[in-house]
Amino acid sequence: MTTPLVEITDLKKTYLLGKVTVEALRGVNLKVERGDFLSILGPSGSGKSTLLNLIGALDKPTSGKLLIDGVDVSTLNDNQLTELRQKIGFVFQFFNLIPRFSAKQNVELPMAIAGVPKTEREKRAEQLLETVGLKDRLNHKPAELSGGQQQRVAIARALANNPRFLLMDEPTGNIDSKTAREILDLIKKLNNEGVTIIMVTHDQHLAREAKRTVQVFDGLISADVVN
Amino acid sequence: MRISDVFSYSFSAIKLRKLRASLTTLGVVIGIAAIVALLSISQGLQVTITNQLERGLAADTLIITTSSGSAFANVGGGESGGRFGGGGVGASSGFKLYLNYTEEIKTLSPDIEAVFAVIQQSGYLQNGDRVRAISGGIVGVDFAEYSKIYSTTFVAEKGTIPLSPSDNDLVVGARVHDPRLNGTTFVDVNDEVTVIWTNATQLPFTNQTYTARVAAVLPRIGGFGIGGPSDTGVYIPISQAQRFFGTDEATAIIVKLKNSDNATVSTVYKLITDHFANQLTVISATAVLSLVDTIFATLTLFLGGIAAISLLVAGIGIMNIMIVSLIERTREIGILKAIGMKNRTVLFIFLCESVIIGLLGAVIGIVSGWGLANVVAMLFSSGGPLGSSRGLTITPILTLEMTLLALVFGVGVSVIFALYPAWRASKLKPVDALRYE
Repeated sequence: MTTPLVEITDLKKTYLLGKVTVEALRGVNLKVERGDFLSILGPSGSGKSTLLNLIGALDKPTSGKLLIDGVDVSTLNDNQLTELRQKIGFVFQFFNLIPRFSAKQNVELPMAIAGVPKTEREKRAEQLLETVGLKDRLNHKPAELSGGQQQRVAIARALANNPRFLLMDEPTGNIDSKTAREILDLIKKLNNEGVTIIMVTHDQHLAREAKRTVQVFDGLISADVVN
Repeated sequence: MRISDVFSYSFSAIKLRKLRASLTTLGVVIGIAAIVALLSISQGLQVTITNQLERGLAADTLIITTSSGSAFANVGGGESGGRFGGGGVGASSGFKLYLNYTEEIKTLSPDIEAVFAVIQQSGYLQNGDRVRAISGGIVGVDFAEYSKIYSTTFVAEKGTIPLSPSDNDLVVGARVHDPRLNGTTFVDVNDEVTVIWTNATQLPFTNQTYTARVAAVLPRIGGFGIGGPSDTGVYIPISQAQRFFGTDEATAIIVKLKNSDNATVSTVYKLITDHFANQLTVISATAVLSLVDTIFATLTLFLGGIAAISLLVAGIGIMNIMIVSLIERTREIGILKAIGMKNRTVLFIFLCESVIIGLLGAVIGIVSGWGLANVVAMLFSSGGPLGSSRGLTITPILTLEMTLLALVFGVGVSVIFALYPAWRASKLKPVDALRYE
């Protein structure tokens, strides 16, 4: 049996907000297999963003186990976490592109960080932008692109370093419904091509588009349904 | 991340805030330009002064005076208690330097080639109905010996210096010949002039005079001369001086050495001071030049320190701008970290920005500082619009060493002041940074 891509056991995360301790996650158990398309559904304040940050190795758990590709995240230092993140593709609600860079340069950035030579990464950035349907927008800056196009650039950027999975935080939360549909189709297409996707959303309709929906409520997983 | 990618990333960040970056750079430019301008002018001045001194002061020559004989030297005599010699202590003991000490001194060391005395008094020269005070003094010397020692300066520009002169032969400095150096001469070769000396050694003061003939005019030497010929001096044969001034006392005794190396100079220096039980002052070119070096080292440090303050201010400007930039780019840093940029690389990116600013500022600063130095030197040198005609000609000097130092200093200050903001940026937590609006 192969190890699951993500394996979470009794994961807890507490924050200190001023003098108040907030229990964001109170013992989550979850497994994500390769090739899966998982949506994490929950209202705001349910702990889903905390879960996303932990799976994305942006933060460390307070207790419990979080294995990504068999590696225990809680044992890693800052540098090792960062290296791990090079293998995770992030897609944010607000795109988070670097405004002064063109679409192509934005897609190149993770590869530049990983030390990929210039010619190689330029070629790959062009291919990726073609994959997401932006072949004719290579040299446009984010401000010259629509919300949907920006999110496509962000997806292309997330795919740059051949990540183990894509981690999406409300990927259609900031774009109109028609464009959101297109983005979702793109995500599904990528999943069909073998990319594992973990998507966080508070939108039930969107969540049902995934192969599997995990519902988070009050720091715990309240439902785990295969759609 | 590759170094070239780090640099191009930093550069793109700077390019985004052109005005702010150029103002920050300007701070560095001003600091570096001030350092370069001040130091290159002071170096140029030092070389000018050293050259002048070397011309007026042969390296293989020692000058012996009583400590009160400061009048003999155009400069430097006043410092006789310091580095010029050990004689300063016995200054007012009434020690007199007699002409016949020359024989005694000559036997002190085989390194001594020649010894001769100089008698100097202040006086006037009258040509027709015009009278001028001779600021360089009426100096009695042995023409033959003197021209041997000062072979480049005690030479005739006009006329000839008689090696066995008659009593009424006279040699004048360039500024006695032509006081304003503009062609309006006061005396010229073959003029009959009257030498006037006020005898103030006994009451009532009496004016003594004799008529002399100008045999030669010296070339222009420059502003300084210790022991050596001066532009403002009048030279008469020593025997004539002895008679005219009615004295056997030498104002100075000049010792010419066979070698000019430091060992010889200091050995003879010590022999002489010991022989006269420290009652006189011995001036050597080496000592004067090393004093000049010391003065300029201090001056350079002082000027450099003042200029460094402006660079410090620039450094604070850099720190300020970096902190603002860090706050503005918090989210960007969060994104970079989320997509796998290490803390170290974030630090490098910020430091790189300061290196670019520092480097750019230093290069522009060096160029403009050098330009400024040349303009200032041109303005204040003799002949310049703000320079006196008697002043020196300063040529600013910028050595490769100074250039590199300025470069390193500019970049160094920039990096040091960027360290804290860069460190703060590198320590941002990606979760917090991404949440930052």
